[in-house]
Amino acid sequence: MSSGAGPIYPLAVSPAEAPAEHRSYFAEVARDAVAPRSAKLALAWIACVAAMAVLAPLIANSNPCLINMDGHWSSPLLRSLNWTDLALLIVAVVGGALGCVRRKKFWPNMTLLAACLIVMSVVYGFFGPPPQNVVYEQYRDAMRQGRVQFVLHAPIPYSPSDRFRDEPDTRLLPPSRHHLLGTEAFGADVLSRMIHACRIILAMGFVASGIAVIIGVVVGGLMGYFSGIVDILGMRLIEIFEAIPTLFLMITLVAFFPSEDYRLLMLMVIIGITGWTGYARFTRAEYLSLRSRDFVQAAQAAGLPLHSVLFRHMLPNGITPVVINLSFGIAAAIIAESTLSFLQLGVIDQPSWGAMLSQATGQGGDFLWWMALFPGLAIFLTVFAYVLLGESVNDALDPRRRR
Amino acid sequence: MTNYIIRRILLMFPTLLGMTLVTFLIMGLSPGGVGGTLLNAQGTMKAEAAKAQREYLERRFGLNKPLIVQYVRWLNEISPVGFETGSDQNGGTFRWLKTPDLGYSFSKGRPVASMVAEALPITLLLNVVTLPITILIALAAGIFAARRKGGVIDVASGTVLLALWSIPTIWAGVMLIGFLANRNYLYWFPTGGLHDTLADSMSFLPMHGPGGWYRGWLLDTCWHLALPVICLTYGGFAFLARLTRGAILDNLASDYARTARAKGLDERTTLFRHVFRNSLLPLITFSAGILPALLSGAVVVEYIFSIHGMGLLILDGVRARDRELVLDEALVVGFVGLVSYLLADILYAVADPRVSYE
Repeated sequence: MSSGAGPIYPLAVSPAEAPAEHRSYFAEVARDAVAPRSAKLALAWIACVAAMAVLAPLIANSNPCLINMDGHWSSPLLRSLNWTDLALLIVAVVGGALGCVRRKKFWPNMTLLAACLIVMSVVYGFFGPPPQNVVYEQYRDAMRQGRVQFVLHAPIPYSPSDRFRDEPDTRLLPPSRHHLLGTEAFGADVLSRMIHACRIILAMGFVASGIAVIIGVVVGGLMGYFSGIVDILGMRLIEIFEAIPTLFLMITLVAFFPSEDYRLLMLMVIIGITGWTGYARFTRAEYLSLRSRDFVQAAQAAGLPLHSVLFRHMLPNGITPVVINLSFGIAAAIIAESTLSFLQLGVIDQPSWGAMLSQATGQGGDFLWWMALFPGLAIFLTVFAYVLLGESVNDALDPRRRR
Repeated sequence: MTNYIIRRILLMFPTLLGMTLVTFLIMGLSPGGVGGTLLNAQGTMKAEAAKAQREYLERRFGLNKPLIVQYVRWLNEISPVGFETGSDQNGGTFRWLKTPDLGYSFSKGRPVASMVAEALPITLLLNVVTLPITILIALAAGIFAARRKGGVIDVASGTVLLALWSIPTIWAGVMLIGFLANRNYLYWFPTGGLHDTLADSMSFLPMHGPGGWYRGWLLDTCWHLALPVICLTYGGFAFLARLTRGAILDNLASDYARTARAKGLDERTTLFRHVFRNSLLPLITFSAGILPALLSGAVVVEYIFSIHGMGLLILDGVRARDRELVLDEALVVGFVGLVSYLLADILYAVADPRVSYE
């Protein structure tokens, strides 16, 4: 592949020893990768989905931001935030701020972020609201009875799990002024569910392909480094996994290892362990050519432990093909999650674009076009964004096409 | 070549064994093990039915035996060479040729072999119709783009193909069936199935009868196949068209193409007489790669269009957690996939005289 034949680039050059305008190879590649307009648009869409994922409970929530009921001021929305919501907000705000202010110090920033999270967890554990069953109807009932003097709603005043039990007529409504993208079969607001589903899609993409990359790099690295019998056995394993159609393996695993409590995590693990073979192949090929290089032999001669040779010295030089394919892997993981949810083997009750799409062709032969168009379009745009990004990373890393 | 084919066929067996072992381990390690159906149905099943099922599973797998023994016993049942097992538990005589027994599906109440025999031809039909269409469109689009290299049309078609490739099948299927096959919208296509309910009484070809034109069996099937085939086609051809374009551009820049131009051939002849055939090679390799993907895609497409092929059978088996059915499906799907890889390799050698597997 490209980096195998070229010179070895340092992973990062610290500013003290580098000329002022010198940038690391990866920084340069990253700059080239986001240069085309298509890549910029793709990044903008992914950033938009990420923002939705972080801000979901603030954007779409049945609990009012601020309410004056019976003379008492309160903010049910803030009280309804759970640990995940707060953690995501803190990571986004603190991480974003640190990234802007002192971008050079990666590990100190990470430590600070972790410290913030731990402090938040402790504070939340002591002072956070006890878990309670939220009754969304109470505020609407209070408003009908005229007990509310002032109310400020969230921009989209519907929670994803607010099924409007007090208003049975809201089921299966096409888009209107109140429900911008209509309502689904149980009466929940489609737009609100779509916004909350951003979380699943993002987490699925990153965690599932992260698992796949870790398995692939470790297995492929060991195969390439040791070669011989390890390599032969590993290749047979890869061939076996590639011969089983991925979707078949996934639905079998999902169906036979049902997990009620950790369903989302289980899905991520399953999508991860069905998608590692490609990464293993790439890493193996790179490591096979790297293992006889001088710097690897120097590392071995210096008596470095195996993990250091494999992952500190060889990995930065052999990671390029994995990076090229990472974006496509995320796209594949997103499609996998949507397909599983569409086949009703994915997440249950939680909002998911794929599961919403499956409700579009309802019982009785109706076709609910708003349930097909919007979630489907969202899946497509996200997948397309990752594919475009992958193409542009591919171009940026291709030495023949570099400027 | 013969040597190579024989070696490849022999190499298929370890892979097939590995695949079934992986699937078997999933079943065996899942809650309940291979006898899990007994647990699921506990209480809802009549005592005799439960007893019959327990006896069957005991005979076939040996429920208290270790996992690997269970797997070997199952292998013995499905292989054409092995021990004849009768009603007695201790195995029978060794036979070099016996009827492979794919087992009995309790969730469907039928032998698995008969269900596979019904479902597999339908999925293969879908794929056999899809593959040539995919390749033809891919070739046309690839050549079209390559001849306009760098132009607006080339860039636009590249983006469109990338977008097509990114459209999830679930979305395409739902949109097509929703807008083109629904009573409330355009009702141009049937909503599902592979044949009309009256297809059995139709003549094969379209014909003129007393009540006007009858579309006949062939046209009826095509009409039913149209939407599913569109769903299975677009992703593959988008991928292959990009591949074709790249291959043609690489070949057009090669020495032999320059020689062809130098001896006075025009661009068109160079492309179609010299470059075209050489550009087919990557297409052959990747066509084999998309065949298992087509089998996977069949799960989604058959689910959306309610076509009772392998895909729907896989879904049914998995939903009912029917171990026997899922195991046999893994075997069949794996076998079809491996055969298609083999066919592609042979085709590759036929198409490219430089390739030698000796």
